[in-house]
Amino acid sequence: MKSRRALVLVLLAAGLAAAVLLAVGAGAVRVPPLSLLRLAAYHLGFRGVGLPPQQEVTILLLIRLPRVLAALLVGAALAAGGVVMQGLFRNPMASPDILGVSTGGSLGAVTAIATGLAGASPLFLPALAVAGALAAAFLIYAISSYRGKTSLLFVVLAGLAISSFFNGLVSAILLFARQYEVSQFIFWTMGGFDGRTWRQVLLALPVLVPGLAVMALFARELNLLALGEEGAQSLGLGVETAKRILLAATAAVAGVAISISGPVGFVGLLIPHLFRLLVGPDHRVLLPASILGGALFLILCDLAGRTLAPPFEIRVGIITAVLGSPYFLFLILRAQRRGLHRG
Amino acid sequence: MAEPSPELLRTQSLGFAIDGREILRGVSLGVRAGEFVGLIGPNGAGKTTLLRLLLGGLRPTAGEVLLKGRPLSRIGVRERARTTAYLSQEEVSPFAFPVLDLVLMGRYPHRGRLERERESDLEKARRALSYVGLSGFEERYFHELSGGERQLVLFARVLAQETELLLLDEPTSNLDIRHQDLFFSMALELTREGKAVVACVHDLDVASRYCSRLVLLDRGRVAADGSPGEVLKPEILDPVFETSTMVTPNAATGSLSVSVMPRCWPGEGPRVHLIGGAGSAVNLTRELNRLGYRVSGGIAHEFDADHTLWRNLRLPSRVVGAFQRISAQDVEQAASLVEEADLTVLASFPIGPGNVENLRLAARARRLVILTGGPEDPPRTFFSEEGRALFGELQARSRLSDYARLQREMEEGSIQTPWPR
Repeated sequence: MKSRRALVLVLLAAGLAAAVLLAVGAGAVRVPPLSLLRLAAYHLGFRGVGLPPQQEVTILLLIRLPRVLAALLVGAALAAGGVVMQGLFRNPMASPDILGVSTGGSLGAVTAIATGLAGASPLFLPALAVAGALAAAFLIYAISSYRGKTSLLFVVLAGLAISSFFNGLVSAILLFARQYEVSQFIFWTMGGFDGRTWRQVLLALPVLVPGLAVMALFARELNLLALGEEGAQSLGLGVETAKRILLAATAAVAGVAISISGPVGFVGLLIPHLFRLLVGPDHRVLLPASILGGALFLILCDLAGRTLAPPFEIRVGIITAVLGSPYFLFLILRAQRRGLHRG
Repeated sequence: MAEPSPELLRTQSLGFAIDGREILRGVSLGVRAGEFVGLIGPNGAGKTTLLRLLLGGLRPTAGEVLLKGRPLSRIGVRERARTTAYLSQEEVSPFAFPVLDLVLMGRYPHRGRLERERESDLEKARRALSYVGLSGFEERYFHELSGGERQLVLFARVLAQETELLLLDEPTSNLDIRHQDLFFSMALELTREGKAVVACVHDLDVASRYCSRLVLLDRGRVAADGSPGEVLKPEILDPVFETSTMVTPNAATGSLSVSVMPRCWPGEGPRVHLIGGAGSAVNLTRELNRLGYRVSGGIAHEFDADHTLWRNLRLPSRVVGAFQRISAQDVEQAASLVEEADLTVLASFPIGPGNVENLRLAARARRLVILTGGPEDPPRTFFSEEGRALFGELQARSRLSDYARLQREMEEGSIQTPWPR
């Protein structure tokens, strides 16, 4: 089991590197994957390899690389958020989307656009997206917590209610929107990586890196929480504190992810599930595996969206929904027959 | 007398209320090392609430819990977990953890937040598993085990936690008798090693068998606190459980067994009189009573198992003093029971001078069945020629039947149909 876990992690890391090379090369203008390596080597001081042609460098640096990195970060963030949510709520069907974080982020982003704040400073849109995600998470947390206990059933119910409410608000804002804003709004209801630049990637990093680090530091605690809150508490875990920290980290990480890509569904549900089947439920392995796997998955989804039907782009949110919904149905049907235990 | 061991746990007029509704009030208890304390009481008496207060999962609204002399509220949750372990009814994780990983979680409070488990932790987890008899289960998945095995795994986790105090909340309520015994025997062994166990126990027989001390809770207050012998008395239990109980020593273990006295529902079926002795009519009485026959019995000797049962079931019966000779006068007094019965059954028991008159009583029966004794029954031995002669006469005017046939007839209701003399 131990060696299998290590093998999965190594394969995932290698796969991720390969996917990055593949994705930066593919597109309307083909760039050989080696060009990226040459560019990297050149900037690392191996001047001997020489720079690729200027056109390729421009495409790589200004278009492909930020886009691929954005997909990588969003995939990693959403998958990690899903792992934490499922562990925290002891529910293999939980994900940041189902728990309202995504609609909260959308509402924040849409509010930023509608009020014109987004135009005032590039910081406002991600900030409001994160604020919306946090607000949704804590509304749900507050509603479903009573006397220091958070009820799973009420998390799902409150999540449904808050999601519908926020979706309603997003639609309402859309009604009053000026024509030229509508295309921006569509981005915030479908999700995608078109036109992502270094700015979004660099703004997200200061939140994503510490957020993911906090999650990783709580991996063992997430294992304990699988025993139920009473059991975890009796083993010396400050359950309510841990819950608050993990919820905040998830909301921040998922909110930032959404500020980059718009809502991308099912990654947070599907990836943790898949990797729990592969490496088991131990969060010390499951979390890194899901982070790598989520990044890999979303890079490939975006790549597919760009290359399946050129010159049209299929938005990544559509790809994940088309792949994710059947998988989710499959999980529901399987759980019905076998119980919720495995995976 | 040895010096009493120091108190691990002490509660001072502990109270707990939700929205002004009192769940517990004025609970003052001390628990010493080596004690096995059973919390007993009716549903809703506050047993689980008390246990959670002792664990620190709930905060008391009045009074205080002292753990080794220090207020529980001022002890960090990690430090608490190094002194107190807790186990409730079976917990099932929705995720497929291997057994060893679950047991290893018991080592969590002994390691720093970011410290890895050491080889010694692994060793302790393995030893705990082998203690509960589950060596070789390390890589099995928890949720694929049986309910009994799961509870043993969780017990191993509690062992790996290496605490002085164990709090168990109805730990065996879903287990079969073998696993129940295994579980409590291991807990008992831990108290012999100087740990203290406090357990909510629903089953009073189990509580009396394993616990050194019982605390009876009644609507949030301590109604009794003492050894099983001091607490398990009908006069104490009856008002708390609002029923009528009888406490008898268990034949297998000598511990106390608490039974709810049967309610008296007069049967509607035919009248059957049983003549027994030496416990020979106990099975028949139980079966007939269950099937709704109106049963009477006698003449029995006092303290005989037959009579004890007839008395407790409040069935009409005749009794003479223990080892006293049954007289012709006794037979006259009992005659009406036999003569009014649709059927009289003579069970298999030894016949001597003390009870030979019972054969004369049987002769008064309208219809008589003589039960041929099975291997479990006392043999029908004759200690006097008179007895043998009387029995011969009885045989001539009655029917012989074994227990199986009689029981079949009882079930079918054909027992009272006439048969040719």
